[in-house]
Amino acid sequence: MRTLRAFFVRLVGLLRAQRSEEDFAAELESHVAMDTEEGIRAGFTPEEARRQALMRIGGAEQVRQAYRERRTLPVVENLMRDLRYALRAFRRNPMFTCTAIATLALGIGTTTAVFSVVDPILFRSLPYAHADRLVSFGLSQPLEPREFTLGFFFFDWRAHQRPFEAVTYERGVNECNITEQNPVQMQCAHVASNFFSTFGIAPVLGREFTQEEDQPDGPPAVLISYALWRERYNRDQRVLDKTVVLDGRSMKIVGVLPQDFEMPRLQHADMVLPAKVDLAHQHAENAGLGVPLWAFARLKPGVTVVQAREQMQPLFAQMQSVIPAQFRSEFHLSVRSLRDRQMQDQYRAAWLLLAAVFAILVISCTNVAGLLAVRGRAREGELTVRMALGASSRRLMGQALVEAGLLAAMGAVSGCLLAWGLLHIFVTIAPTGVLFLGNAHLDPRILCFAALLTVGCTGACGILPTLQNPRSPVPNSRATRSRAYTGFRRALVVAQIATCVILLSSALLLVESFRNLQKQELGMDAGGSLVVHVSLTRARYASNEAYMTFFLQAESALRALPGVSAVAVSDSVPPDGDSWHDAIRYPDLVVSGKPRTPAGVGGKVGVRRVTPGYFAALGIPLERGHSFVEEDRSQSGAQLILSRSLAARMFPQENPIGQHIQIASYMPYFVLNGPVYTVVGVAGDVKNAGLSGEDDPEYYTLRRNRPEDWSNRNELVLRTELPVSTVAPWIRTQIARLDSTAPVEVVTIRQVVNRLADPPRFEAALVGFFAFSGLLLSVIGLYGVISYIAAQRTQEIGVRMALGATRANILRLITAEGLRLLFVGGAIGLAASLLTAGLLQKLLFHVSTRKPLSYVVVTALLTLVGGCATLLPAIRAMKTDPMIALRTE
Amino acid sequence: MPEKTDVWQGTLALMVLRTLESMGPLHGYGLARRIEQISGDRLQLNYGTLYPALLKLEQEGFVRSRWGTSENNRKAKFYELTRAGQGRVRKAAAEWEKTTEILARFLSPAEEA
Repeated sequence: MRTLRAFFVRLVGLLRAQRSEEDFAAELESHVAMDTEEGIRAGFTPEEARRQALMRIGGAEQVRQAYRERRTLPVVENLMRDLRYALRAFRRNPMFTCTAIATLALGIGTTTAVFSVVDPILFRSLPYAHADRLVSFGLSQPLEPREFTLGFFFFDWRAHQRPFEAVTYERGVNECNITEQNPVQMQCAHVASNFFSTFGIAPVLGREFTQEEDQPDGPPAVLISYALWRERYNRDQRVLDKTVVLDGRSMKIVGVLPQDFEMPRLQHADMVLPAKVDLAHQHAENAGLGVPLWAFARLKPGVTVVQAREQMQPLFAQMQSVIPAQFRSEFHLSVRSLRDRQMQDQYRAAWLLLAAVFAILVISCTNVAGLLAVRGRAREGELTVRMALGASSRRLMGQALVEAGLLAAMGAVSGCLLAWGLLHIFVTIAPTGVLFLGNAHLDPRILCFAALLTVGCTGACGILPTLQNPRSPVPNSRATRSRAYTGFRRALVVAQIATCVILLSSALLLVESFRNLQKQELGMDAGGSLVVHVSLTRARYASNEAYMTFFLQAESALRALPGVSAVAVSDSVPPDGDSWHDAIRYPDLVVSGKPRTPAGVGGKVGVRRVTPGYFAALGIPLERGHSFVEEDRSQSGAQLILSRSLAARMFPQENPIGQHIQIASYMPYFVLNGPVYTVVGVAGDVKNAGLSGEDDPEYYTLRRNRPEDWSNRNELVLRTELPVSTVAPWIRTQIARLDSTAPVEVVTIRQVVNRLADPPRFEAALVGFFAFSGLLLSVIGLYGVISYIAAQRTQEIGVRMALGATRANILRLITAEGLRLLFVGGAIGLAASLLTAGLLQKLLFHVSTRKPLSYVVVTALLTLVGGCATLLPAIRAMKTDPMIALRTE
Repeated sequence: MPEKTDVWQGTLALMVLRTLESMGPLHGYGLARRIEQISGDRLQLNYGTLYPALLKLEQEGFVRSRWGTSENNRKAKFYELTRAGQGRVRKAAAEWEKTTEILARFLSPAEEA
């Protein structure tokens, strides 16, 4: 307590230095005067008395010094002095200062920006209590690789499972409308009554659902999102007394979700409703399979994910007996942590970016360390003098740290600004490049991270050069020291060049991969094709017939627009990516008069249900036969068009046109009761598994004007020569005439494709940016070290020239030095990038990591740029005047 | 003249406080002389060390100082004990007694042997 008080008094003492100094001088003077008087009284001469008095206080200057040290905090005082000194030194050498700050800013800025982007993927804690014990479990199979469960076995599993403390489920999110005044479209999630308790989510207001509300005929209740509470209800506490009319049904608002609420599968949800699953009917509903459910559970304490999977295995084995024998092997039990389920394929890209950005940070830190080292060398004389005058090595070290810290702090501030700018650029170039990118921002945690980095940089930059500065510089050991010194800097440059090579080669691979993706044939003429998505809700459109009526009207309304050459309705649109695309198994296609393909062979076949204009609207060529024709829509005959690859596979030797095909269904056992389709044409292959996925064969069926051919999945596609900005308002008007409440979204196929290319574009752009920053930094480092070496050898060069060395000899001497560093660094880097390229393979599309070309390009680029960086100082050295050189020192 | 001893580490503060307690306000020189006298001139006090020690006590709030006039009509800075300082003297004196007592126990058998 007292010490603390003293500390503050001393801290304040810093500010009143001048006055206290005078005060103490007066006090001391009065002391000496009194002592002298007494001496005189004792019989000494005044001079002698005064001399003795001064001796007794042990020297006026020493006392003043001791007093001063006690009065203020010497550490702080020294720090202030060092700071002032450092600032003065930086001002004297703006070139050095700017380079160092820019280098650090680049390192810290890019690291912070990238960390902000990958943090939610890799490190963010999920907004649930003890999220590390939450798992997602269920079945996975080729048509749906992400685990799901079905009602017919889920409740059985839940009753008999052992590894979990609690098991819950959600039924997904669908569109719903608030149908009271100001109707709005919402996203409604449906969850079990124990969903919130299992995840450890507490509503900020109100309560979670009761079991009664989760019953099929239970009282209607809804929890609203924080955003909805804020915007629609103005944070009104009395919202709990209100009801909301949702799709015509009045529901009681029972609670408000926390601000950071997230559905476990990350779907957007404005409202959460009880799932109301009818347990008793699960064996009857959906052909005995029950409704699809997404299951989540909380592990019992001490149980690992692996153990949980083992313990669930018997239940899975039991359930397997229900699966038709031919698919049994396709189904797997999946139990994994919630984070794994959410992040799936994002990990690799996130780690790649993080690694790349750390490489940049390392390069920039070593660069600054190098810069500081050069300065340290230049100030060696000054240091020697200061040491000779009594500065302790701790003070010198402290000063080095202060300088480095100041640089790092300035670097960090400009780095944060850079990071802020970079984040905006990231979002602009690829809004869906990585998960959560749209929400990425510099939050306090990230700023803390930047601060830590700064401290790290200070350590690296401040300590490294002082380690190189032996404690007591003795003048005659300079030669050996400077050799160790340059050795150290050489090692830094080699490390930089090696890191830079790894970055450059990775960037080239990613850029090549991105270009391959862009160059791909889409299989259609995407220019001029538009997709129009109209959101209709089940509440207004209760039956397939209602959908059919609406979309048939929409189709003819759009067809009447000027400049529109073709319009069609499909249930999905290529190149699909992560959007819904119906599919069946290859063996489900049964050709009349031919044996069935054995189960388990042949993989997936895509299905699209389209109206006749589809191929014209998307510009997909028909290679054999003809397209669907308008007249057939009112006929009863079922028609089908195969994709080229499917036709080649099913009918390698025969003419596919005119063949009859039936499609098996499993309700839940194999049946062949569907319509018999006649093949009328073969269309070209279209990209249908995203941009990078392996394309599936597919077929198209004709949507006739019969309700059974329609569903709630409908996309309008059309072809027009006019710009989208012209057509879009017309389209909106036409749709609004049919249903003024339905939201309309118009995008071009080009935009869809572009969005799919976001992740690779993001990765390629970022790593490319890092690589070139890395190259720039390494070249600065190389230039610095060669200039330094050349300057250091000025005298030697002078001697050599005096002894008859030609200018060419000198040029060779210095250039060789730089090329050696380039060669060693390049070789290490190439070897390392061959190793790391393997890790990249999963992110690459049609690029061989073993292809020498990219490595040749990297080497050439490095030699060229590095060569220039060595040549400049070498030429300067070559022009040395031997007389001047000899006179230095 | 008896042999003089240096001031032991940490004891100067106690001597200062104790002297101020018994003598009332004193200036630095008077304090120094007083301490020497009390010790029977057996203490080698470096007057210079007194001032940082006084400053420390002042910063800790055990003494306060003000300018005044000395008995010889000279301007001098006077130090006096604060209330906290009085408490401190008692506590420190008790501690010191305990310490010396313990030390004495260590030393006495050795003398006997």
